[in-house]
Amino acid sequence: MSDELFAGYELLSGPDEMFEANGSVRPAYRTLGERLRRWDTQEYLLRQSRADLALLNAGITFTVYSDDRGTERIFPFSLIPRIVTAGEWAHIEAGLSQRVRALNLFLRDVYNEQRCISDGVVPADVVFGAPDYNLRMVDFAPPLGVYAHIAGCDLVRDGSGQFVVLEDNLRTPSGVSYVLENRTIMVRVAPDLFPRRGVAPVNDYPGRLLSMLIDVRPEHVDAAEVRAVVLTPGAYNSAYFEHAFLAQQMGIPLVEGSDLVAHNETVYLRSTSGLEPVHVIYRRVDDAFLDPLAFRPDSVLGVAGLMDAYRAGRVSIVNAVGAGVADDKVVYRFVPEIIRYFLDEEPLLPNVPTYAAVLPEERGHILEHLRELVVKPANASGGYGVVIGPQASDDELARLGEAIEADPRNWIAQPLLEFSTIPTFLDDHVAPRRADLRPYILTGRSTWVLPGGLTRVALREGSYVVNSSQGGGSKDTWVLTDDGEDGGVRDAQPGR
Amino acid sequence: MLSRVAENLYWLGRYLERAENMARMAHVEYLTSVEGGGGPEQSGSTWDALIAASGARQAYFTAREAEPERAPADFLVLGWDNPNSIRSTLAQARNVARTVRGHVSREVWEELNQLHLYLSRRETLVESDLFDLCGEIKRRIETVFGLYDNTVLFDEGRDWFRCGLYLERADMTTRVLDTKYHLLLPEASEVGGPLDRFQWTAILKSVSAWEAFRKTDIAEISGRRVAGMLLFRPDFPRSILFCTRALLRHYRNATVDTPRAQCVHAEREIVLLEMDLAALTVEEVIAGGLHEFLDGLQTRFGAIDHATTEHIFRALPDGASAVPA
Repeated sequence: MSDELFAGYELLSGPDEMFEANGSVRPAYRTLGERLRRWDTQEYLLRQSRADLALLNAGITFTVYSDDRGTERIFPFSLIPRIVTAGEWAHIEAGLSQRVRALNLFLRDVYNEQRCISDGVVPADVVFGAPDYNLRMVDFAPPLGVYAHIAGCDLVRDGSGQFVVLEDNLRTPSGVSYVLENRTIMVRVAPDLFPRRGVAPVNDYPGRLLSMLIDVRPEHVDAAEVRAVVLTPGAYNSAYFEHAFLAQQMGIPLVEGSDLVAHNETVYLRSTSGLEPVHVIYRRVDDAFLDPLAFRPDSVLGVAGLMDAYRAGRVSIVNAVGAGVADDKVVYRFVPEIIRYFLDEEPLLPNVPTYAAVLPEERGHILEHLRELVVKPANASGGYGVVIGPQASDDELARLGEAIEADPRNWIAQPLLEFSTIPTFLDDHVAPRRADLRPYILTGRSTWVLPGGLTRVALREGSYVVNSSQGGGSKDTWVLTDDGEDGGVRDAQPGR
Repeated sequence: MLSRVAENLYWLGRYLERAENMARMAHVEYLTSVEGGGGPEQSGSTWDALIAASGARQAYFTAREAEPERAPADFLVLGWDNPNSIRSTLAQARNVARTVRGHVSREVWEELNQLHLYLSRRETLVESDLFDLCGEIKRRIETVFGLYDNTVLFDEGRDWFRCGLYLERADMTTRVLDTKYHLLLPEASEVGGPLDRFQWTAILKSVSAWEAFRKTDIAEISGRRVAGMLLFRPDFPRSILFCTRALLRHYRNATVDTPRAQCVHAEREIVLLEMDLAALTVEEVIAGGLHEFLDGLQTRFGAIDHATTEHIFRALPDGASAVPA
């Protein structure tokens, strides 16, 4: 490898995506490694600054202060890509597809027959105790029985080298726009890194998303006449860029709650030519804010009367209201059982071993092993409230113990995973940093997995938290379309 | 088209045109003040007139009390404490563009975003930079307009954008003229003198009308002729008559599918304005007082804006009757 860029690259505990334990480059990364070797630090910095400038100019930023002169920052983009071999991907794709199918069946069941509860697969208090279990959804099934139309499952490669599911995101998973933008930027600033054998394209996503929205329209609407919209909380939401991006890429209106009205169980869009019916709402507004008549009465982000129209089958909501019960971190603990129960199959992608404090025998284990475990609140996202035992103070752990005793339903624990690292450029050298992978799964009439996903990387030294809100960055993710005979990527013309 | 989107595209047109006009005026003001008034330091009073024309007189008094050394040009161009400064206006344009990101092309958005970033990096303004800075702002806004015309669908949204642009341009032209109306008062001194001609030339230049004027009118420059051109020339793209006609055309295109009961209000205002403009002569206007006439025009522009906002952008559906069958 380049003496300059990779000097002092020291493997951490856990596997590395690019290097074997003995320091040799994995086959899939050989071509990339050879090409990176031609870069010196200057070259790297030049490419990185071009990438940063492109992101800034495109306005792919989040606001640090919210006034007009607010400083805006880009989400850090890390130039060295993550590579997933075709063989690995086939396994991931099958595993995610299986998982999302089972979770949709689970959701339909907990809001209707509730067989999985009466058969003892998932305890009743685990289901009903989930804050996102939504009583307004009982005895109702959305079109095609799909609840989690868009799922984002966070994967990591564990110490044994296999991919495991860290958590599911079934409410309004975000980040897919960065998958597309990262690829655009990568092609622009580092075209010479791409292998000749091919990387699976990602720009199919908006088209697939739109087809899915049309799939799940209300029964009475003809496919050619579907009016679908993206519902955003507004321009001040941190994911607003993504909402606007997806609406634009699909060519459908981006609306705010105040742009819609519900009347006689039909939802309309306020347009300059009067009111026009809306059939499918891809909402990026949380359940609680969707309808002030059904949920939080103080919400100004939603549409009064939306739930009545939804239950009357006049409008479809994507993802379904109440889908969050299936990505609850305590329910997660039961997903392998859910897959076996609903599909009669063995899970292809394993869970991380998880202890739920709500189960008395597991609570005892958690309290005795706080020092070794990672403890997470059951219903938070963005990495908030996570306590990493080995890195926590005695004081913190004591307070955590009390919190668990006081509200066991709210806590789960997992062993600290030495998940894989990936070479990441930092100022003037390359160092290993922990990374996860969030693929996106769409379900309408069938299930489709976007080849790749968002690779998030913990930029801080020693950090295990990859969330952008906690100082994480992201990388382009390459799913190889062909692994070649040696499992790697061959290149007939390395000098192109 | 979504009412909120229509309203925001209309405002995008207004803000961009406003910023471009102000950059134009500041550009010329700077040149004129250097040449005609013994350097930028002596030019306080004319900058005051520009600030007043931009509608920021009160904010300027407040700012000057806090910071007496502050250059008026800095307040007008970069002042964050001036909601009507060029930088604040463009920040609003960009915020509005963000909310209608799906209705403008990536090229338009990136150009506007880059202009915003370019201005965000500027610290206080040195007057000698004014020429280059205002020139750059003008050029970049014109680029946004060009990209808009060449990369965005010619649909209802573009018509609303153009409605905003032409209404704002007409309004700004009245404000430019109004800064010099006193030169056309019968009792004003030096009427027809060299200073007078110098001032009218500046006005023509600030609306990019100098060359057009020369091409179409070989006579001596006079207030009467300049006012005549800026008010009534049907083929000069910044005259009030031209803007009013363009506004009417785009408004009618934009409201083809709008219920008559909603779109008739503003259309009536525009049609009556166009009729009046077409019938008037510059002599009649000056006899009645240019300042009063310009004041009246600004009121009518306000009425057009109000009728469009109330009856189209913000119209509430009146119960079941608004619901299509």
